[in-house]
Amino acid sequence: MSHFLNNPNHTGGLEDVTRRHFFSKCALGLGGIALASLLSDNKLSAAQQGVKLVNPFEPKQPHFGPKVKNVIYLFMAGGPSQLELFDYKPDLVKYNGQPIPKSYIEGKRFAFMDTFVKDPPKLLGTRRKFAQHGQSGAHVSEMFPYTAGIVDDISILKTCATDVFNHAPAKLFMNTGSSQFGRPSMGAWVTYGIGSECQNLPGFVVLQSGPRGPRGGAMNWTSGFLPTTYQGVPLRGQGEPILNLSNPKGVTAQRQRDTIDAIRDLNLKRLVATGDEEIRTRISAYEMAYRMQTSAPDLIDLSDESQATLDLYGIKEGEGSFARNCLLARRLVERGSRFVQLYHTNWDSHGGPGEDLEKSFEKICKEVDQGQAALVKDLKQRGLLEDTLVVWGGEFGRTPMGENRESTGRNHHIDTFTMWFAGGGVKAGQVVGETDEFGFSPVTDRCHVHDIHATILHLLGLEHTKLTFRFQGRDFRLTDVHGEVIKKLLS
Amino acid sequence: MSSVNQRLGIVAAVWLTVTGSAESVNYMKEIKPILSTACYQCHSATQQKHNLRVDTATSILKGGDHGPAIVRGKSDESLLIKAVQGVAKDLSRMPFKKAPLDEEKIALLKRWIDEGAKAPADEKPDAVLHWSFVPPPSTVAVPAVKNKKWVRNPIDNFILARLEKQKIKPAKEADKITLIRRLYLDLIGLPPKISDVDTFVNDHRADAYERLVEQLLSNPHYGERQARHWLDAAHYADSNGFSVDAPRQIWKYRDWVINAFNKDLPFDEFTIEQIAGDLLPKATTEQRVATGFYRNTMINQEGGIDKEQFRIESVLDRVNTTGTTWLGLTIGCSQCHDHKFDPLMQKEYYQLFAFLNNQDEPDLELLSNEEKQEIETAKKHMQEAEIALNIYIKNTHDEIVKWEKALTAEQTAKLKLKVQQSLVIPAGKRSFKEKLLLVDQIRKEDETYKHERAKLARAEAKNREADSTMVLQERKEARESFLFIKGDFTRHGDRVSPGFPKIVQQQMPASATPAAGTNLTRLDLAKWLVEPENPLTARVTVNRIWMHCFGKGLVETDNDFGTQGSAPTHPALLDWLAREFTNQKWSVKQMHRLIVMSATYRQSSDARRELKDVDPYNKLFARQNRFRLEAEVVRDSELTASGLLTEKIGGPSVFPPIPDGVMKLGQMNREWNVSPGDDKYRRGMYTFFYRATPPPALVVFDAPDSSTVCTRRLRSNTPLQSLTLLNEQSFVELAQGLASRVLSEAPKEGKARLDYAFRLCLSRHPEKSERERLATLLDAEKRNFAAAPTEAKALAPKELIKEADVKEFAAWTTISRVLLNLDETISRE
Repeated sequence: MSHFLNNPNHTGGLEDVTRRHFFSKCALGLGGIALASLLSDNKLSAAQQGVKLVNPFEPKQPHFGPKVKNVIYLFMAGGPSQLELFDYKPDLVKYNGQPIPKSYIEGKRFAFMDTFVKDPPKLLGTRRKFAQHGQSGAHVSEMFPYTAGIVDDISILKTCATDVFNHAPAKLFMNTGSSQFGRPSMGAWVTYGIGSECQNLPGFVVLQSGPRGPRGGAMNWTSGFLPTTYQGVPLRGQGEPILNLSNPKGVTAQRQRDTIDAIRDLNLKRLVATGDEEIRTRISAYEMAYRMQTSAPDLIDLSDESQATLDLYGIKEGEGSFARNCLLARRLVERGSRFVQLYHTNWDSHGGPGEDLEKSFEKICKEVDQGQAALVKDLKQRGLLEDTLVVWGGEFGRTPMGENRESTGRNHHIDTFTMWFAGGGVKAGQVVGETDEFGFSPVTDRCHVHDIHATILHLLGLEHTKLTFRFQGRDFRLTDVHGEVIKKLLS
Repeated sequence: MSSVNQRLGIVAAVWLTVTGSAESVNYMKEIKPILSTACYQCHSATQQKHNLRVDTATSILKGGDHGPAIVRGKSDESLLIKAVQGVAKDLSRMPFKKAPLDEEKIALLKRWIDEGAKAPADEKPDAVLHWSFVPPPSTVAVPAVKNKKWVRNPIDNFILARLEKQKIKPAKEADKITLIRRLYLDLIGLPPKISDVDTFVNDHRADAYERLVEQLLSNPHYGERQARHWLDAAHYADSNGFSVDAPRQIWKYRDWVINAFNKDLPFDEFTIEQIAGDLLPKATTEQRVATGFYRNTMINQEGGIDKEQFRIESVLDRVNTTGTTWLGLTIGCSQCHDHKFDPLMQKEYYQLFAFLNNQDEPDLELLSNEEKQEIETAKKHMQEAEIALNIYIKNTHDEIVKWEKALTAEQTAKLKLKVQQSLVIPAGKRSFKEKLLLVDQIRKEDETYKHERAKLARAEAKNREADSTMVLQERKEARESFLFIKGDFTRHGDRVSPGFPKIVQQQMPASATPAAGTNLTRLDLAKWLVEPENPLTARVTVNRIWMHCFGKGLVETDNDFGTQGSAPTHPALLDWLAREFTNQKWSVKQMHRLIVMSATYRQSSDARRELKDVDPYNKLFARQNRFRLEAEVVRDSELTASGLLTEKIGGPSVFPPIPDGVMKLGQMNREWNVSPGDDKYRRGMYTFFYRATPPPALVVFDAPDSSTVCTRRLRSNTPLQSLTLLNEQSFVELAQGLASRVLSEAPKEGKARLDYAFRLCLSRHPEKSERERLATLLDAEKRNFAAAPTEAKALAPKELIKEADVKEFAAWTTISRVLLNLDETISRE
């Protein structure tokens, strides 16, 4: 099988690169289908048209030996405050209430700029207590007691940087490497690049928890200019897990099977009559759809999980939550889904109602802490962590300066913020990157979003400069024209 | 990767054989190939970076901004050598950002210079301007063909001449049913009715086909179909996008486009009105509505943003949209730097930007005086009624308290839900409306009260927000425009004035290309785009019309006519069509007429096994193409088959049923109140399009997300599409509609019913084996449903069954689901 990544024969016909190419070249035998009766009035013999089905998510070889097979990306939507969680800054506490030295903010742009212009921003020390944990001695605040327990399994990167400071564009940037709309998201790039090992469920799945969906909505898991096959499929918290997954009322599983069989037979006949290979793909799509109908309910049915597991995650019965999504993420990668992304809102701690750094912040920390720590532990104890990359982070961080609304919160901050990584190929139990005394800028190891993308792709065995798609006359990449693998993160 | 490396490899191999001898270096054979591979992209006819071209020895000697590129006899002093060695002061190593030349090639270049840089005296630059930047010749010769009988119009000469050269026969003409279905789907985006098919099949007049084409070109649905393609480019949607994604009102623009195609507004006027309708002398309301084209940019309403930043992003989007839509160029690349492949300078990008940086973005109120009067009266009546009713509320206060106390649980349960909900709210916190609902309960007999209540209801129904649409309006004081360094709007470079890209205009007559300057406006830009000698606009536009009639363009990269795009498969045909387009006064209908009447268009789309290796992608058009319908047309076709389609054209966007929870995916959790009555069954193009939470059944079939310009949709083929057609409630309703229709309209006899159902979906009659397959399923389903009446009831809604029996109806619903899911039903062959 020729690998389409190595062969974007752009002049060979756009259809080639858009869809038909890998569909037809990854033909997957699912057993020929007997059609003697249907073919009797046709010129072609059954042997000639030997029906083979194709799998849209056929796994594909990466560029080099991968460290992990799957990614679970915990997206903390709204921008969690690194200064309340991981980036311990005693000086910030010491100088609490002092105006930040001008040299820090001159020439910088911020969200809600007018509030900063009116009133020179003042440093805000955290009131959360920090302690060092584990062998690595990493600082984690009291807000994350469970996460503090896994520091030796994760790599904390304190010096992440991005370019854009408003939520929707920044989320797009973190997901697609561009703040402009229209580019494919990470999950789409990855499934485009290496397909998915799962035959019965989508390769790129999105789960959500929190009071609302993430800003930008479907743009965050878009396939952009890639075929929609690679778009993230939201797994829904309520109702049917995947849109239109349930049969219509009055349609039993057997009736659905009979219906799909008839559709297949008539489609096959048309395939023979017209010779249009696209019909073969259509037939395969119906088979996959049918399999999804049985696999997805099975996926979300947690009755086969032990009470110990449910307790580990802190899942309460019948409750949609981040913790439940973490367990679903494990179940998805167990089944071979390639890229699972969890969104949890709302981390936007400006200081307004529901967005304060006091009760609201405590609440949201509690919502994620146990689940995310349990996920890493659970993956580890099942031997799945070595094949999985877990990524944690938001679209940006928060300013060391306070922002005064109803209470004091923090503004959006792009210069430095914290993410953490765990899993195969990631060096466990370390903290990478140092920030200045106020946690305003990186002092060492500044890692840009593009570098993070390059690293995620690298761990999956993909060379970020080679994972390209030609669109409007240009080869596009997730990392645009930038990106360097963050070597220090790797084991 | 690298076709470049491969080419270098080939050049190197050639060189090795040539340099085997000790003779002096042959410029033509040895030097030119090196230069053409490594340097021509930036330094020849198409572009001349730093004013240097190296496609003749003379021009090499002459050099560019840095002086002569070579010094005869002195390779050590030659800039060319220093540049390729990467030792030239102030110059990057050449070729820029590409693999360096290997030592052998550099040695050869040096030897050539040291030997005196000899070259033929009559050397001409061999690389001409990239084809798309040269206007099409004013007359294009129509090639002669052997098989004259096949030819229906000049298009066929071009196609057949090429086929004959390769000794390939064109495909046979498609059968009449395929033809009528194809014409319907391509021209009006709806499948034909059975009666239309029968009429056409039985019309044996010689010009039956042509008559059908004329009929469809004047069908008002033609405008809808063609408008949808254009709306993709405009990236029309009904909301602002980004996180807040508030609804917006701009459907009047959508209707303007439909109307423009229906009345065959010439494409030049069509262009001018959309880009600069407001700047036309005595601009009409319609012409101002047309400027909504550029208002289909997104608006960020998130808190804490820099508004100027997002205004500028809209302008950048408009520049890119203009480049893709009219010029077929990826000019967006020049936002941050000079275009890597095409001769577009960053400065020129911002000259285009300057055209589009000088307007306000207001809403245009669109009401007639009578309508305004009506609304004002309604407002007055509302006020009056409210005053009267407030007195009632006050006067009944004690009575209500008493009534509420006396209510038993049983009585409460009998009240309307809304009344019950009002009761739950503490008395002090009830709204005016909630209070009224309670007064209603105890003043049922009071005629004055009822009168005021009715007056309020009437007035409310008439009171509405004024119809408006988003437009452009030129500012009196021009904004200053700057080049943005690396595309960053906070970093101003040189000031720029409106002007046109040199590469596009260099072959246009001087009269058609006003000099750059601040007095140029959007109107000048619009006129320049549709100047007949503009090398791109007509070609790009006819290519897209062709694309929509064949599934792909003569230039397959319809949005990249630059040097990296694909070359036209039939360059002379493209030029001929472009000239025909301008000669026919930019009539889009005339182009459709021409294309669909050709023999080329009428060919069968069946794959030709014998051509599988010769022409796997059908670049020669030795047959038609078979492809899946666009998202909206999938819906429209199934609506038509089920008989439920509401054919109303235009008006505000509608809210057909969508699956639960879809609107929760966005930040705002917006309401989706399903439209009442016939509006549930409008064409897909009228479905309200929220950018952050777009309608899933459209998106799953590749409807664009409306964030940026889209001129060619992808056609994916996925399991989620299958799930949509199989299970989405709105499609199940269509299956039930189809079942109901078959049972009430078709003769009762089994075979006739099956044929009728089949033809409603596919236009053609089933073959025997197809009919048998369906009959087997139908019989089985009748038995199954007889054994499981609850299943039958669940699948057969009471209101549709009428006289048919439930199991019969349910069994036909299964058959309908099969038919509506067939690949052929959602394909155009």
